[in-house]
Amino acid sequence: MTSYRLSQGGLIDRARPLSFSFDGKPMSGFAGDSLASALLANGQRLMGRSFKYHRPRGVLTAGAAEPNALMTIGKGGRTEPNTRATLQELYDGLTARSQNRWPSLDFDIGALNGLLSPFLSAGFYYKTFMWPAAFWEKLYEPFIRKAAGLGEAAKESDPDSFEKCWAHCDLLVIGAGATGLAAALTAGRAGARVILVDEQAELGGSLLSETATIGGVPAAQFAREATAELEALPNVRTLARTTAFGRYDGNVFGAVERVQKHVATPQVGRPVERLWRIVAGRALLATGAEERPLVFGGNDIPGVMMAGAARSYLNRTAVAPARQMAIFTTNDSGYALARDLEACGVALTAIIDSRPEGAAPGLYKGQARILTDALVRDAHGGKSLSAITIARQGRTETLRLDGLAVSGGFSPVIHLACHRGDKPVWSDAQGAFLAEDRKGLALAGAAAGLSGLAACYEAGARKAVALLDQLGIAATAGSVPTVEGDIVAPATKPLWSIPGIRGKAFIDFQNDVHRADLALAVREGYAHVELAKRYTTNGMATDQGKLSNVNAIGLLAEARGVSPAEVGTTTFRPFYTPVSFGALAGSSHGKHFQPVRQSPLHGWAKKNGARFVETGLWYRSAWFPRTGETTWRESVDREVRTVREAAGLCDVSMLGKIEITGKDAALFLDRVYCNGFANLPVGKARYGLMLREDGFIYDDGTTSRLAEDRFFMTTTTAYAAGVLNHLEFCAQALWPELDVRLASVTDQWAQMAIAGPLARTILQEIVDEDISNEAFPFLGARAVSLFNGALKGRLFRISFSGELAYELAVPAGYGESVADALMEIGKPKGLCAYGVEALSVLRIEKGHVTHNEINGTVVPADLGFGRMVSAKKADFIGKHMLAREGLTAGNRHQLVGVVPLDPAASFRTGAHILAKGAAATLENSLGHVSSSCYSPHVGSTIGLALVRAGSSRHGEEVMIWNGLRGEYTPGRLCDPVFIDPENAKLKI
Amino acid sequence: MSMTLRHHPVLGGKAALRLKDVTLEALPEGHVLQLLAAAPEAGPGLRERIGDSDLRPLAPGQWLLIGNAPLTPEDLTGLEERLKPVADIVDQSHGRVRIALSGPAARAVLAKGTAVNLDAAAFPVGHAAQTLIGHIGAHLARTGEDSFELTVLRGFAESLWDDLAQMAAEFA
Repeated sequence: MTSYRLSQGGLIDRARPLSFSFDGKPMSGFAGDSLASALLANGQRLMGRSFKYHRPRGVLTAGAAEPNALMTIGKGGRTEPNTRATLQELYDGLTARSQNRWPSLDFDIGALNGLLSPFLSAGFYYKTFMWPAAFWEKLYEPFIRKAAGLGEAAKESDPDSFEKCWAHCDLLVIGAGATGLAAALTAGRAGARVILVDEQAELGGSLLSETATIGGVPAAQFAREATAELEALPNVRTLARTTAFGRYDGNVFGAVERVQKHVATPQVGRPVERLWRIVAGRALLATGAEERPLVFGGNDIPGVMMAGAARSYLNRTAVAPARQMAIFTTNDSGYALARDLEACGVALTAIIDSRPEGAAPGLYKGQARILTDALVRDAHGGKSLSAITIARQGRTETLRLDGLAVSGGFSPVIHLACHRGDKPVWSDAQGAFLAEDRKGLALAGAAAGLSGLAACYEAGARKAVALLDQLGIAATAGSVPTVEGDIVAPATKPLWSIPGIRGKAFIDFQNDVHRADLALAVREGYAHVELAKRYTTNGMATDQGKLSNVNAIGLLAEARGVSPAEVGTTTFRPFYTPVSFGALAGSSHGKHFQPVRQSPLHGWAKKNGARFVETGLWYRSAWFPRTGETTWRESVDREVRTVREAAGLCDVSMLGKIEITGKDAALFLDRVYCNGFANLPVGKARYGLMLREDGFIYDDGTTSRLAEDRFFMTTTTAYAAGVLNHLEFCAQALWPELDVRLASVTDQWAQMAIAGPLARTILQEIVDEDISNEAFPFLGARAVSLFNGALKGRLFRISFSGELAYELAVPAGYGESVADALMEIGKPKGLCAYGVEALSVLRIEKGHVTHNEINGTVVPADLGFGRMVSAKKADFIGKHMLAREGLTAGNRHQLVGVVPLDPAASFRTGAHILAKGAAATLENSLGHVSSSCYSPHVGSTIGLALVRAGSSRHGEEVMIWNGLRGEYTPGRLCDPVFIDPENAKLKI
Repeated sequence: MSMTLRHHPVLGGKAALRLKDVTLEALPEGHVLQLLAAAPEAGPGLRERIGDSDLRPLAPGQWLLIGNAPLTPEDLTGLEERLKPVADIVDQSHGRVRIALSGPAARAVLAKGTAVNLDAAAFPVGHAAQTLIGHIGAHLARTGEDSFELTVLRGFAESLWDDLAQMAAEFA
């Protein structure tokens, strides 16, 4: 055992022990521990195996950037792979398993990859597995994916719930260390609406790992007092366990709150994670800085750890990372750890300081040997660090020890400031990439390159005042509390390459990219930072290069002999840290996956035994099976026959309905339809074709004139919203001078089609007015009184089926009752309910088109509507483009009917039409079947087809070819109207 | 012929959901009238004609006139006459359904669905906005410090109710 729990100190609650297990081994920790600190306290420094070489790895950090200590937490559907042990709070009963090892963490077969490492360099896969090409997908890639990779996702469904939430504030403060607390206190005291988020379980950031005092109290206590003050302010919302992961347009930030990821059994009714979308007037990044590793041989051996992390384990969770330590540093921050280690009684062998001048005089008063102008060249050991080799002034020296803390300087955490395309700027003075303040956003404290608690506190308060001032909110910064015992570490020159390294010197720990890989990328011409990233996979792991990117850039710069400024960074994109799919899906799964849109006649359809089909969000009644009918076709055939012989009732409520008013409504319709509407008399309906600007048909439907200045338009179900948008655009942007007003009334009316020879007889029983052919002729459209004046409805004499037919609209709340009444009246006369399948058969028999035919490639003449297009109107949408020669050519695809030569044969929608005798190739295709069905009226399958010059080919024998299924059906083209071509039935 | 006509309120079967910090209630299907004016600045003219009825802004030049009592065709015609020529009426009494949310957690429930800032300073009593509650479009009005009304397309009313019930679950 090398790492161990100190007998006293830390912020852990020793009165609350917690038991947990790691790889089945029972262990214990305390409330306040992270999983990583608890493992260290149990002497477990080996925490995982690396991605490619399966090298033993221990925990490197104490925060979000952790590349090594990734574990699978939980059981069953709650299994969560790749959990960072550094961020996972310990709870009683937690089960953790290491990943990427077989058969065990201690003895891993995959570690043989390490021996093969000379062959596994960057680009190896691409170079080696190139040939034969077909092997890549079937053999190489599955094999590589099996060997590499991290944890495994659970196969069971997640029993927990997730949700999304919006929040709004004047000032969003991200990070609750000294800087963030100062900013939040300043803004909160001024009465501004503040949201303070921090990814840790407790607010305080680095203050929780600090031994300095602020305002006379320990830093951690200061943080707790500040938190208590903030939580008492009604205008401040504090969100601990919340990671701000992205910045988006409109200064909206995404954040994920781990509401119940720290408990054994989540409380039902509350989400385990909540995805916040925070709309921030202004935002302050107080995100701190990431300590940079140093690239020496064996820098990944368990026992090597970032100095700041070691300090955090020591001070916050009372864990000594090792028994015999050394510190390798390029700056003064390493000395703070030295002081704290010695105060805790941990043996410190040496401080290896890369600077010739060492630390500021008087900074360090401890006992450890100080080697200035010295470098750690290599670390040694297998699963645990045992020694380091130091190079100093041409000589080497080996020290035996089991712990090495490393500090290579600091990289400000600027990710969120760069998510919208802003590029970081290299600062030679800071030895780091910095981001600039932008509109709506500023950076402060360590995130802006500062060091020292007092300076950070001052900057946080000052920047908060400035940001609030932009919003017209007055705030004052107040005085900075006295800080004592803080070691300020001014920026120093970065140390990129260390000469004479023997072992593997890792840059990207998670993706196993080492120094030689980067050198290879440069040699092979991939020195550009974006190319080097992809060639070596540096920075492409789940930690997104938090520890590795800047070192890689520094090494590339050195190799190319330029400044890091010239190398630049790769692109910053959300997410800052991985976000679970559960959080992104929120509550949209299962029953709540998408809303259901119900027709006002849904209840009527249900009790009549409807089978439903999803049409967009609508549930439409598809057919109404009766006892004894075993297939849907039987039901549909019966419904079709009943409509043709007696009458049927169909729910057409889901057609789009738009009310159009205003004194220019008629003129408006004249412009949006290709046919005329200005002359439509009150009380009449007309079929209209709406074109796009390019002349092709957009949508069709009937529009009725209810009064001089009031029209009622119907659209297809699919285009209901699109047509309304189109009309609004026309009214608002194209012709704002017209007085036209639009309202969607789709949901206001329950609308039912009553079709068939007996339709009038049945309807007349409930309609108070005379609806005889004389009084209410074809295309009549009027408000009617129903049930002896009990209800007002609207009646339209229009027909999709080709039969005598009406559509009756009644206020939606009465729809079911009216449909019930009609069924009761009609039943003795043979009335049946029919669904959208029968509706479709009826319209194909009549040769009516839908969006199967209006498919974006047809103009009115293609469908036989050429004469509808007004020649008289000065203008309408699509008029000018319609005159293009390509749209008037004689050989365009035109609507025809198609029948099989043998009535027993059939064909399917989508099949190609070939000239008789032509070879079955796509080049020979004359067109395709756009709609097809079995027609009880014709007694065979029939179809509508769009065929080249089709209107002049009626009678021609063709081959109907379905290339996907290898079906060939000899057929004949014909008139697309299979029933009542004279329209006699409509006018009886 | 005479038959018994029955009105089916789409949320008629839903009892009010009374949780500790929030209550969810389907409101009576009274009247919802969409007022369409020729010009967005017609508001004051409308007020003169309809007095202090519950008038909620919907869009530039559009309002919803809302009440718990159903209107007879005669009521509607009378109102149409009164509003001419300032605004046209489109009856949405059956096309829109109202749900009330009230209680100290009402804002927190709504924040799970809408991007509208519900802070009292930004969205005071009397304010209204057309918004999305999750995936469902709805008209949101603040009727009191802790009370709101959602007006939703009839076809989506049940789905919205189910979603709101789930969003409110943690306040039980």
